[in-house]
Amino acid sequence: MNREEAVKIVMSMLEKNVDGLEMSDDKMDKTLVDIGVDSLDVMLVIMDVGEAAGITISDDQAEILDTPEKIVEFIAKQ
Amino acid sequence: MLGIRSIASYLPKGRVDNLEQADRFETDREFVEQKIGVSSLPRFEAKDSVVSASVSAFKSLCEKESVDPAEIECVVLCTQNPDNGGLPHNSALVHAELGLSEDCACFDIGLGCSGYVYGLSVIQSFMAANSMKKGLLFTCDPYSRILNPEDKNTCLLFGDAASVTLISDTPRYILSSAKFATKGSGSAALQKNDNLLEMNGRAVFNFALQDVPKQIKRVLENAELTMDSVDIFLLHQGSRFMLENVIKRAGMPAEKAPIRLSSTGNTISSSIPLLLETELNGNPKTILMSGFGVGLSWATAIYTQVK
Repeated sequence: MNREEAVKIVMSMLEKNVDGLEMSDDKMDKTLVDIGVDSLDVMLVIMDVGEAAGITISDDQAEILDTPEKIVEFIAKQ
Repeated sequence: MLGIRSIASYLPKGRVDNLEQADRFETDREFVEQKIGVSSLPRFEAKDSVVSASVSAFKSLCEKESVDPAEIECVVLCTQNPDNGGLPHNSALVHAELGLSEDCACFDIGLGCSGYVYGLSVIQSFMAANSMKKGLLFTCDPYSRILNPEDKNTCLLFGDAASVTLISDTPRYILSSAKFATKGSGSAALQKNDNLLEMNGRAVFNFALQDVPKQIKRVLENAELTMDSVDIFLLHQGSRFMLENVIKRAGMPAEKAPIRLSSTGNTISSSIPLLLETELNGNPKTILMSGFGVGLSWATAIYTQVK
């Protein structure tokens, strides 16, 4: 998957699942906590991103995906 | 034909203020109220036990339904946290407390959050196979016995409760269709270790959102029903966030799927009967119930009103 597609998926899944969140480039390197994604939202976002990208993200992998950029890099590599 | 006649429940007097717990765990109160969806939790006090709570539920049943203890031929009790380690089986202790006849089968079943849906099928099948007419299905799984007081993921979630369902040959609701499933390979997501509960919240969440909606849709298809033709969806009350998302993913009409755990928390196998007890007052014609959790185990059934 190319980076552009990965960014689109991650941004759209964050906005879909987190009330009031509007994604922008400057938020990509911030931690999920800092942009207002709580621990339950994170689980939903990771699940939706995995499904949209057609990949499985294990619990261990999910634990280290703590910024939107890290999620993008992870799914772009698959 | 056997089926559900009546239901009653018991909530212990003990209470834990979940917002005070939130403070103790340095967790946002709004998160606990809005996302977990639990403001206070019923907790066993020292005098409470699986047997005493079950007996209290039975007393409550007798206030709403004429029950002759001499007619009870079967008692099934669902728990994974029994009194005395489950020896003797707690259904036998309840049998003694209720003064039931010796001509009465008693056994426990060890299941968690899918236990009520399983238990209904088990007791009805056993009774039908043995020509029995009246039986009692109890649920009581006091997770407070195994909570790690330092684990906020579980302490903020689980409440203690008991229920009893009268199974009768003059039922109000009968089983129409059901599916049962297990993913034993995922059992580490909810397990007891050194007598304390351990929960992998992410694994449980993924399981609930990915597997449960599929089963619900399959049960509806098998019964040749649509979401619209079900009057009420009774889902295991795991947490508000999980429920909201299971409802969305399954495509259920949210107004038909009550989320009611603010003052009970997740009461394991008692969560569906607690809902059902209330919802029966509205005389729904078609009920879908789905329980999911420890095992990983999940079960969905449709019950229809007897005309």
